[in-house]
Amino acid sequence: MLETRNLSAGYGAITVLWDVNLKFRSGALTAIVGPNGAGKTTLLRALTGLIPHTGAILLDGAPLKGKTWDLAAQGVVMVPEGRLVFRDMTVEENLCLGAYPERCRGDLSANLERMYSFFPRLKERRSQLAGSLSGGEAQMVAMGRGLMAQPRILLIDEPSLGLAPVIVNEVFDIIRRLKAEGTTIVLIEQNTRIALSVADDVHLIRTGKVVMSEPAASVDLDRLHDLYFAREGQGA
Amino acid sequence: MTELILQALFSGVLIGSVYALVALGLALAFGAMRIINLAHGELVLLAAYMAYLVESRTGLEPYAAIPLALAVVSAVSIALFMLVNMIRDHRELNSLILTFAIGIILTNAILLAFASDMRTTTSAFLQDAVSFGDVYAMRGEIIAFALSLVLMGLLWWWLKASWYGRAVRAVSSNRGAAMLMGINPTRIETVSFLVAGALASFAGVALYTMSVVQPAVGHALTVKAFIITVLAGVGSIPGVFLGAVLLGVTEALTVTLASSALQELAGMVLFLMVLFLMPNGLFGARARRG
Repeated sequence: MLETRNLSAGYGAITVLWDVNLKFRSGALTAIVGPNGAGKTTLLRALTGLIPHTGAILLDGAPLKGKTWDLAAQGVVMVPEGRLVFRDMTVEENLCLGAYPERCRGDLSANLERMYSFFPRLKERRSQLAGSLSGGEAQMVAMGRGLMAQPRILLIDEPSLGLAPVIVNEVFDIIRRLKAEGTTIVLIEQNTRIALSVADDVHLIRTGKVVMSEPAASVDLDRLHDLYFAREGQGA
Repeated sequence: MTELILQALFSGVLIGSVYALVALGLALAFGAMRIINLAHGELVLLAAYMAYLVESRTGLEPYAAIPLALAVVSAVSIALFMLVNMIRDHRELNSLILTFAIGIILTNAILLAFASDMRTTTSAFLQDAVSFGDVYAMRGEIIAFALSLVLMGLLWWWLKASWYGRAVRAVSSNRGAAMLMGINPTRIETVSFLVAGALASFAGVALYTMSVVQPAVGHALTVKAFIITVLAGVGSIPGVFLGAVLLGVTEALTVTLASSALQELAGMVLFLMVLFLMPNGLFGARARRG
């Protein structure tokens, strides 16, 4: 289980996240939703060590320490948006780089085959440059690359960003399969409807604070949207 | 006349292969760190003088100096890397000034230690002529050419198939994403500097066996490597090789048909022509990045 305690983070003198206390259950899919500029990406950047934070981040009770690359080696793996694939490397090379941490390097070919069974389209494109892929395929490469790292917890950043609706559905089908396999997932998503459809737990972040935390099953979409758009002044 | 031109083409290809090694080192450090190491030619020069030192002191063949050259150039590379790494702001620009100055210091250190005389190998074995039909080469040139091809092959394999090599390309491609893959970019930058230094070591020893060296050669080599990189773009080993051969042939033809005084100028003219006519480089149709 990943947990944050009084986590605050920001950029220089500007604090974006204020005293965030969140729990991400093992084997569950936790969705973080919220409007643009709410601090979702800042949360992700703090969790992966890309920006400094105050407060604590605990993985299975032990504090997480180190730089971004140390955290990735410990299994806190982020899938950035699909634009951040290695554009001038092939699909297969991108996937192999996911297995860079030493504990993941054994049995590379079996690991690759598992990814190709997940993403058959990537097998067809294995020797193509990742920069030449469509947005949906690049998103699949980014996800496959993250899975190659055998994550203890997989943080997925805005997988629907810039994708056509039919491709978004395809990407979320894959996220459902990952969840069914027992992968612990934290999903950052603006699209509340689709996030709710896959999530176990939902947290709403607005202006740097957690304003709602509930099991997805009990979330009422209208009330979530009221909070999301700060209508009726709730939770402010 | 035809024989002369053929001979110039042949010699140009042979020296071009060594230029390619120099340029690949420059491109490797640039790819990972986004800095142009203007002292790179001086690293090559340093290795050439290690070959001179070993040959003149021990009478061994110059290639026996490779372990010494590797050790000295690696040590200087690491010192250079640590200095560059201390730059906090405007690394691209400030590193140019810093590495340019380090190059001047190295040139003058070599001048102090070895004087300004021209040096080349005295090995009879390496200077023996070998004929290929109508054209001739020194045995040293053929060995240097073969060595360069082998090293380029090894470099290609390393970048393609090894974990460190792939990580170098990942950091070049997208530094932030590479960090998310568990890659420590500072370590990878160090590795790329060391590999660039190893290439410079071999290139320097090879250069000593086939050409004359003197302290000013270091700076000229940096310029050549830079021209080749602009001709070929970074990122493709065959592209760099072709660009280097083109530069070598242009220089050799200039020496044969005009004057050796114009050799460096010819490279510059080639460089300007490519910039005017093909601003994306010779193989720049697929200019990406940015």
